[in-house]
Amino acid sequence: MEEYDVPSAASILASVKEQEARFERLTRALEEERRNVSLQLDRGSLPSDRLAGGTTGMSNQPLAWQQMVMQEQSPSNQTSLAMMQEPQEVVEETVTIEEDPGTPTSHVSVVTSDDGTTRRTETKDHLTNMKVTKMVKTVTTRTVRQVPLGPDGLPLPEGSSPLGSYTDSIDRRYMKNGDRFITPQANSTLTRSYNNYADSYSDTPDTQFRHYALHEGYGDVTENYGSLSRGVNYRPYRPYMAAGGYRPENSYTLPIRKEDYGHVAQPQVPMGSSTVDLNRSQPERFQPEPYGLEDDRRSLGPDEEEPFDLEPDYSTANRRTLPGRTIREPLRNGPRVRGYEDPIEAELIDERHPYIHGMYPAPLALPERGSLASLDRMGGRRSPSIDSIRKDPRWRDPDLPEVIAMLGHPIDPVKSNAAAYLQHLCYENDKIKKEVRQLKGIPVLAGLLDHPKSEVHRKACGALRNISFGKDHDNKVAIKNCDGIPALVRLMRKTNDMEVRELITGTLWNLSSFEPLKMVIINHGLQTMTNEVIIPHSGWEHEPNEDSKPRDAEWTTVFKNTSGCLRNVSSDGAEARRRLRECEGLVDALLHALQSAVGKKDMDNKSVENCVCIMRNLSYHVHKEVPGAEKFQDPSALQGPGSAGTQRKKKDDAGCFGGKKAKEEWFNQGRKNGEHDKNYDTLDLPKRTEPTKGFELLYQPEVVRLYLSLLTESQNYNTLEAAAGALQNLSAGHWTWSNYIRATVRKEKGLPILVELLRSDSDKVVRAVAIALRNLSIDRRNKDLIGSYAMRDLVSNLPSGQQRPAKNLEEDTVVAILNTIHEIITESSENARSLMTAQAIDKLVAINRTSQSARETKAASHVLQTVWSYKELRNALTKDGWNKTHFQPIATGTPKGSKSCKPGYDDTTLPLMEKNQGSRGCGSGDMIPMDEFGPDGYSTIDQRDSNLKYKSSDGSADLQEREPLKNDTNRKHYIRSNRPAVSLVDACDVKPQPVDSWV
Amino acid sequence: MSGWVCAAQPSLFMIHKGEGGTQHTVQRIEIHKLQDGDNLILGFSIGGGIDQDSNQNPFSEDKTDKGIYVTRVSKGGPAEVAGLRMGDKIMQVNGWDMTMVTHDQARKKLTKKNEDVVRLLVTRRSLEDVVRQSMMQHPHTN
Repeated sequence: MEEYDVPSAASILASVKEQEARFERLTRALEEERRNVSLQLDRGSLPSDRLAGGTTGMSNQPLAWQQMVMQEQSPSNQTSLAMMQEPQEVVEETVTIEEDPGTPTSHVSVVTSDDGTTRRTETKDHLTNMKVTKMVKTVTTRTVRQVPLGPDGLPLPEGSSPLGSYTDSIDRRYMKNGDRFITPQANSTLTRSYNNYADSYSDTPDTQFRHYALHEGYGDVTENYGSLSRGVNYRPYRPYMAAGGYRPENSYTLPIRKEDYGHVAQPQVPMGSSTVDLNRSQPERFQPEPYGLEDDRRSLGPDEEEPFDLEPDYSTANRRTLPGRTIREPLRNGPRVRGYEDPIEAELIDERHPYIHGMYPAPLALPERGSLASLDRMGGRRSPSIDSIRKDPRWRDPDLPEVIAMLGHPIDPVKSNAAAYLQHLCYENDKIKKEVRQLKGIPVLAGLLDHPKSEVHRKACGALRNISFGKDHDNKVAIKNCDGIPALVRLMRKTNDMEVRELITGTLWNLSSFEPLKMVIINHGLQTMTNEVIIPHSGWEHEPNEDSKPRDAEWTTVFKNTSGCLRNVSSDGAEARRRLRECEGLVDALLHALQSAVGKKDMDNKSVENCVCIMRNLSYHVHKEVPGAEKFQDPSALQGPGSAGTQRKKKDDAGCFGGKKAKEEWFNQGRKNGEHDKNYDTLDLPKRTEPTKGFELLYQPEVVRLYLSLLTESQNYNTLEAAAGALQNLSAGHWTWSNYIRATVRKEKGLPILVELLRSDSDKVVRAVAIALRNLSIDRRNKDLIGSYAMRDLVSNLPSGQQRPAKNLEEDTVVAILNTIHEIITESSENARSLMTAQAIDKLVAINRTSQSARETKAASHVLQTVWSYKELRNALTKDGWNKTHFQPIATGTPKGSKSCKPGYDDTTLPLMEKNQGSRGCGSGDMIPMDEFGPDGYSTIDQRDSNLKYKSSDGSADLQEREPLKNDTNRKHYIRSNRPAVSLVDACDVKPQPVDSWV
Repeated sequence: MSGWVCAAQPSLFMIHKGEGGTQHTVQRIEIHKLQDGDNLILGFSIGGGIDQDSNQNPFSEDKTDKGIYVTRVSKGGPAEVAGLRMGDKIMQVNGWDMTMVTHDQARKKLTKKNEDVVRLLVTRRSLEDVVRQSMMQHPHTN
């Protein structure tokens, strides 16, 4: 841009001369025109004198140019006329200016105010002032002609594209031309508006702008717009009016008639340079930086974990650099909010070429856009280099009411620009969002979602996306209250524009983080989101074509957003879960997507995380909630499997599957009957005649392998937690399927994988794994294995007295681990012995005596009591220096510090499975869905995710201190030698593994 | 992380430690992963793990040792540059114990995508031992 700002003196001079020559020609032409017009006006006996009376230098210029265009083009050439559309509108505005009753003073002021808009022109105006005067009448004439276009004050028909509307009006105008003039009616409109406003505003510098506004259809809301800077108000209509606008006009025609106008445009460069500072400020003014950049996508900022997503393109850093980029291409971002995206930018640059060659400063390139982009200027003024403009008292930003009012403007580009500007303003600005809400802007934006023009609904959606983001739930509610959710869903069905879909799904994702809206989103959007996004992007096909191989999932932004939304709504309780489970194709598609992720070893991204979390939530309480679940209930559950142990006898209540009997034996057999285990592991699984589909897929033993793969491969803590949580949910409860699941986890060698994760740095992963292990240990054989091999890792997570281990696990996690230990040692003195040898008694006693947490104390106390209940161990315990008092509950009166025990919270971990069903309520071992967990539960609120991300990236640095080598090796050897009889992995399950892996 | 300035500088220090009668050295080796297409590679392969048949491990002295061993080192690769040798037993990866892990767990720890640098704690029998042994036996392949 700079090179344009500092043209050489010679070129300035040359261009001025050329300009003058040009004007002479123009003047002649205009004279001719003037005669025609005055003749016509006389016939019409209209008060045209007034109109003709005052013309400002500024307005002349555009007119002059326009005139020239008209003369040089054949009047019958519609195409060329279409090019001129904008100039003609300028004319209209010129008329307004003329309303100043011809006093020199008023002329001056007009010029000045125009300067604000069109500084470059100003110089020219001065140079050609005399000629300008001459041209005035001609100008007027044109104005009059145009009026017919919009007798109602709406020159541009709403709903048509800018270009189209212009063409349209020009066509009409052209016809009028053929008829040789305007209708009287049009003239009267013009006059009237003049009368109404001239008196009240004529002496303010802004006057002419108000008039513009009036003419342009703002008449009914004049008071609202009166305060608008003209940049805002008339910019769309008179792009050429400003120096910049002028150029756009030229450039508009340029591509087509370059030879005609190239030289015309040229002079302007010098002119601009003659008023250097003006020129310079202009580019700044036009910087579009505001919206394009701050685009909606950022609105999701915190919830987008870019690192996980591997989407460097959208990284914050990139976006932050955009202001610099905008300076390069000022205007163009306005109309295209997404100016920062590379493809578009490339396209824009291409578009710019003609203008560059066409000899005028780049900032004003893209005239067809610039002419419409009233807000570009506003945006430009917000750019970093705004200062010079800010100092100019004639310019100011539109205030919020003005922008919101512009959303209702009859001209689409104004709407879309207003929406884009709102989007920008609302970006991470809660105050503005609130104001927009209070000013009733949200319903207007929601209404624009149904607008047929993609520019309009896109920008409106972008604004809503920014507004919907954040902690202020009132904004979300406001969107819901004006039926914004169904409108978003409608638009999703309607549009194929990926960008719009990203905006829609992003907005829905934001909305879905607020509990009361979850059901609304499900009601309106569940099936649409599934059909339009989840299924197609997952690669799943209802009836797979046998010829084509299965498609992989595509981790698109749309998929990520939609899965994030469903992840949130899936936490809204039993009804929400039921709806999602029964949503046709959803579970199938999610599973397909996850399997595809596993197949491609691409498991760390956010979409996978979302999918696993949905699966986890949908797996919660499957054994109670899915249709027909009662058929699969395990009658033994009612007696409490934990208490029955290996001795218990179960009635053979013939279930639906032949495996029932096998399962019973399973429970009854001693753990040394490995051969039998093998058989039953195989036989136990139900045979199916037709493929499972829908929600049944949630709890088929096949999913175990999927979750184990995720647990093995994923580096994403959230994914790990969710996968462990899914296993936890599936292995909870007592129905046929959970029995299969528990056995399958063992068979698939899942136990070592889970135990390994007990060493994770992530608190919640450890917690989820611990609870999963507890549920898995309902299976007797699992219990033996876990007791043998997981005890050390479990114990190492416990704090030693008041001293927390390096991981510093949360209270919830410690309690979960204690409860898991309790479950493992229940009914198994062998495991209790393992606990002793793992040096756990020290820790347990310490927790029991000194922990500040009542819940930890209670849980530790349970464990200790259970240990003491094994009489065969007392001898050893006494030898180690313990006595009965160590295993008794501490007096309850002891103050336990400030940590309060949340009511009902203990239930999440303390009680053991459903043997406590009666008193404890819901299955305690289940995953607690988000809604029951409170704000920090499993919900997917964005901020939480991003925090985790940072945590995870920091984590690796600390590992060294946390994992002392010696302890580990010693421990493992010890365990192995201690329990040679049982292998952590069932021998029968071992499959050959790669012995050699390149890394 | 930033404290680890030196790259490809083996043997920050050595500890002599008796084990099973053979002299072993414990070394810390830092390997900077190399971008290879979409992957970050270390340039060596591992064998062993608690889920593997330790009898087939050509490098271990004690055939019940289910540890993770370096089975191959690619010529000129990051591992070789850093001083890793065939037959080294990997004790730790970035602080994680590798002596009692499955083969896959070890592989996973070594191939974390978000880590550019891998710090290994390895034990190595005397060079002659390793060479002699690897010449006597065919390196194990799948």
